[in-house]
Amino acid sequence: MATAKTVLPEESELTVQEANVSWPVLQTASVYIGKGCEWYNNEFMLCRQEERDPRRCLNEGKAVTSCAMDILKKMKKHCLEDFNAYMYCLERSTGTLEFAPCRKTQAALDDCVRQNLNIERPPYGYFCEAKVHNTSRPRPEEKSITYPDPTPGLPSDVPREKSKYSNRFWYKS
Amino acid sequence: MDATVNGKKVQDLPPKGGYGSIQTERIKLRTILGTRGTIAFFLATTIGGMYGYYLSFKQVRRHQIEMRSARWAIFPMLLAERDRAVLKQMRRNRDIETELMKNVEGWEVGTYYGEPIFYLDDPNQYRDPTFLDHFAHSDPAIYCERAERRMWT
Repeated sequence: MATAKTVLPEESELTVQEANVSWPVLQTASVYIGKGCEWYNNEFMLCRQEERDPRRCLNEGKAVTSCAMDILKKMKKHCLEDFNAYMYCLERSTGTLEFAPCRKTQAALDDCVRQNLNIERPPYGYFCEAKVHNTSRPRPEEKSITYPDPTPGLPSDVPREKSKYSNRFWYKS
Repeated sequence: MDATVNGKKVQDLPPKGGYGSIQTERIKLRTILGTRGTIAFFLATTIGGMYGYYLSFKQVRRHQIEMRSARWAIFPMLLAERDRAVLKQMRRNRDIETELMKNVEGWEVGTYYGEPIFYLDDPNQYRDPTFLDHFAHSDPAIYCERAERRMWT
């Protein structure tokens, strides 16, 4: 819970235009959003993971949302018919919006997106792969904990004798 | 009938020419598959079935990966939206609590009379609010809807 010392951003800083669309739309547009906004997405996720604090990644998050909104708007402008056909197929085929039964409408939408938005549909498991991301954002400093009373270790020049008994297995003792 | 009507008794005798011979020889059943045939059939169906299973297993895995990939593609966007919503609600909750407890002596916001929930390394450290933290000042109907949503969907 936030105490008086917790710095929280103002509500006006947090208010941007959100993508107010349902899951079928997001599922239909998912790979294009992922591919088109790949750099912003990677930047945001890296920031989130490194900083472990959403307050320091607000600008990256806003960039992610605006990029996704941009792609959705462009798709609405250029490929609305193909988009709706594909979404209709996904919705009516399975309850979980599987891609497998709708390859024909998908190919049509892929074509349209390639021509108008210049986004190539990535191979099927593309976003499950590990990515290397180059960023100009400095890496946050990891503070190592130093305890006031560490256990004193042996100095390195202590003579090390051979053990008296070869070893201490149960059948030798 | 005749016998009783005529008052004569007729002995029950075998049919003329005697009974037919009794079948005692074994008649073998007609076989479709022999031993070798059976084993071959078993192996063929097993191997064929395993191959078919392998093919569909690969396909199912492929579809699963594709669905997961689509989910990861939109995950950053959803996470960014969620972060903003959570931070907004945290501020609102803190404001409501300040307003609600302003007349209570010794009350500090986010603590129990000055005793914090967590002793943090840094007083400004971020911790994700728990479910009850987030919905503490909300309408009970909304709280119930959110708490029970997973039971209905």
